[in-house]
Amino acid sequence: MLRFLKSDFIYDFLRAPVAIISFSVISILVLSAIFAQYIAPTNPFDPASLELMNGFTPPMEPNMFTGEVFLLGTDDQGRDLFSAILYGLRISLFVGLMAVSLAMIMGVLLGLIAGYVGGWLDNFIMRLADIQMTFPSILIAMLIFGVARGLLPPELRYEMAITVLIISIGLSEWVPFARTVRGSTMVEKEKEYIAAAQLIGLKKWQIMIRHILPNVLGPVLVIATITFALAIIAEATLSFLGVGAPRTEPSLGTLIRVGQDFLFSGEWWILLFPALTLLALALAVNLLGDWLRDTLNPRLK
Amino acid sequence: MEENLLEVRNISVTFKSRYGVLKALDNLSLNVKKGEILGLVGESGAGKSMTGAAILGLIDPPGRLSSGEIYFKGKSISNAPEAVRGHEISMIFQDPLMSLNPLRKIGDQLVETILTHMNISKSEAIKRAKNGLKEVGIDPSRLNSYPHTFSGGMRQRVVIALALAPEPSLIIADEPTTALDVSVQAQILDLLKKLCKDRGTSIILVTHDMGVIAETTDRVGVLYAGRLAEIGDTRDVLTDPKHPYTRGLVDSTPRIDSNSFKKSLFQIPGSMPKLDAMPSGCAFHPRCEFATEICRKKIPQILLDRSACWLLNDGEL
Amino acid sequence: MSFVQATDLTRTFDLSDPFIVRAISRTPKRILTAVDKVSFSIEKGTTYALVGESGSGKSTIAKMAVGLLKPTDGSLLVDGMNLNDPKLAKEETLALRRRIQMVFQSPYASLNPRWKVKDILCEPIKAFKLIENPKAQIDRVHELLEQVGLASSDSNKFPHEFSGGQRQRISIARALSSEPEIIVCDEPTSALDVSVQAQVLNLLKSLQKEYALTYLFITHDLAVVSTMANKIGVLNQGKLVEEQTPEVLFSEPKNSYTKMLLNAAPKINF
Repeated sequence: MLRFLKSDFIYDFLRAPVAIISFSVISILVLSAIFAQYIAPTNPFDPASLELMNGFTPPMEPNMFTGEVFLLGTDDQGRDLFSAILYGLRISLFVGLMAVSLAMIMGVLLGLIAGYVGGWLDNFIMRLADIQMTFPSILIAMLIFGVARGLLPPELRYEMAITVLIISIGLSEWVPFARTVRGSTMVEKEKEYIAAAQLIGLKKWQIMIRHILPNVLGPVLVIATITFALAIIAEATLSFLGVGAPRTEPSLGTLIRVGQDFLFSGEWWILLFPALTLLALALAVNLLGDWLRDTLNPRLK
Repeated sequence: MEENLLEVRNISVTFKSRYGVLKALDNLSLNVKKGEILGLVGESGAGKSMTGAAILGLIDPPGRLSSGEIYFKGKSISNAPEAVRGHEISMIFQDPLMSLNPLRKIGDQLVETILTHMNISKSEAIKRAKNGLKEVGIDPSRLNSYPHTFSGGMRQRVVIALALAPEPSLIIADEPTTALDVSVQAQILDLLKKLCKDRGTSIILVTHDMGVIAETTDRVGVLYAGRLAEIGDTRDVLTDPKHPYTRGLVDSTPRIDSNSFKKSLFQIPGSMPKLDAMPSGCAFHPRCEFATEICRKKIPQILLDRSACWLLNDGEL
Repeated sequence: MSFVQATDLTRTFDLSDPFIVRAISRTPKRILTAVDKVSFSIEKGTTYALVGESGSGKSTIAKMAVGLLKPTDGSLLVDGMNLNDPKLAKEETLALRRRIQMVFQSPYASLNPRWKVKDILCEPIKAFKLIENPKAQIDRVHELLEQVGLASSDSNKFPHEFSGGQRQRISIARALSSEPEIIVCDEPTSALDVSVQAQVLNLLKSLQKEYALTYLFITHDLAVVSTMANKIGVLNQGKLVEEQTPEVLFSEPKNSYTKMLLNAAPKINF
């Protein structure tokens, strides 16, 4: 660990303002989401705590009926927007993280197999990837979502919403991982340390996991950060379209959808603050990913 | 006294890293006369490629030429290498695949190089290009071929033709035959020697192969850890080395000799120091069996125009 | 029967375009014969050098010797057994693999950059089940490192912390860890500087004496061969054109290609 802290990577990190700022923003948002129940003044997911009369209160102004003040205002059902954003962040981050993990595991494994085994298996996997890439990922996500909803009995639909969301976003994002890993695998496969491993009789899967995998993971981290940003936006989009997180446990996307309805009637804060949060998160993740990609590039001697 | 074509005086190339300021070249001086082939020999990291790059101003930041002067035909070029780069002084690199643009016909590249440095018509340039190819032993009708249709040796000939096209006075050849087969290497080196004699072009030949030095160069400089260890006539330096490192290098080079199987090869103990861990005084002293107190304390300069070794003055060696 | 016996060893590669392309453009199949009926034999405890330029087939023969490639024709027997024999049981194949190891050309690509040296050296020991006890395994790793002139403390480092010559030593230690009888050296010093090369070649020679190893030494450098080999085989475009002891080969080469190679090699002779 100490070695890592003294490494060139940390050295470069401390000298890149973009990296420091992005990382700080992400940290703040993540920590706020994790400790949401301690920071948030109310629990926006508990219908019992809501007071309809609190609805439509502008930020930092006392409500005309109850006199309560809300930091960022309230939505149409009286939810404190600040709390709702914090809890909504939780959902967005959770879905984003799980979806990326799913995409990563699937993509890396398929890429390894395609690159190392080659032949018809490689062809098959890559054509699958090509086919998948011709469809916009939101469309694929909606397709999977729709199918899942059709298959699940109505009682489960509500609870499984998040799971289905994760699966559908994850399954639509595996291709960049697979393609990159496949390319790196094909390069590593020709190196002599792989021949040395073959010489001691290791089986194909042993060589793939023990030798090739650690050496192809580099770019995966960068793709993961970018895919994470995409997943968060995808979740927001799906929720916005009404097929994601439900109204009573809103994610940032749901809040934006709600806010959009009221934008032109003057309640601008319901749209603005969740949108700004989403923007900050996605931008920070993207910038950090960009910086990571440039730093982790093997430098010329 | 014949005037030197190229004079390198006390150049140092440094670059800043997180470990401090590192000297890739330290107070290096050498001269090249008209029409001679000077070899620069050393092991990886000794600074021989860096020297060629420094002469042409091709050091990339964070490295820089931090001190010293370079004179070409009497004029200083240290601050304005672009004036002579590619024209009076041209360069040949190790890997012909990287020097030739795979997407362009070799004829296009040749003509472009000629037109960049000479004020002549295109048809005149094409004639010169064809002559250039003939000179390096390639059929001029191949002007319209792409690099990938040539073998490695032929590609390097094309690169030599490219380097010769602007009629330079000096060619810096950085390991031009290292990537080639032995038989092809011999042909390319013979070609370089012939061109040098016919045109009076000087060549700085950078290599790690002592045999190449012995067969091709008139004079040779031996580099060690960014410093010049020895310089002189090739025959003298290789048959009677005046620096322990040179002697060690010559002795550890395997020879084609039926008796060598029975003995072990001479080996210099240890390895060349990294730039961030340079010993005090002479860079070679930790590996030198003759090292004395002064070797550990003071950095030797080239003495008697020959060798940077404190023992030189006291006889021995 | 010699310890290593190659008989009419042949390997071809099919470089033709895919069937459909050929059918449409009516071009014939292109077969590259990388190794063409090469026969040689190596006595136990000796070094046999295969010399050739690029395209001579020497690397292909090296790969066939260790079982990374199958011959298309002919055979390469080690102690009478054939690595590519389909009738060999799994344990027998593994046992045979243990006896033949390889040292590769590139010091940079032959060690897994993400593994510590001790894991790299321990892997063959575990794969061939030579030592079971973890503490004994570490002791063996330290022993191997010292044998090749490195320190026990180097076992916790990563390959990039070592120079090219040191990495080749680690490669040699890895080859030794399976306690082999034959080591195929595929241009082990071609990527090294002259002074480092001398150290590595001397190391290989002393290890051969100590463990009665048999070497198949692949190189393009006749001078290197001269210090290492009992017998030399000259390869030209897949064919073995001359085979001699160094004394005879260097003084009275018979084949014109051999003569050309000897002439072309740069020498320090004044």
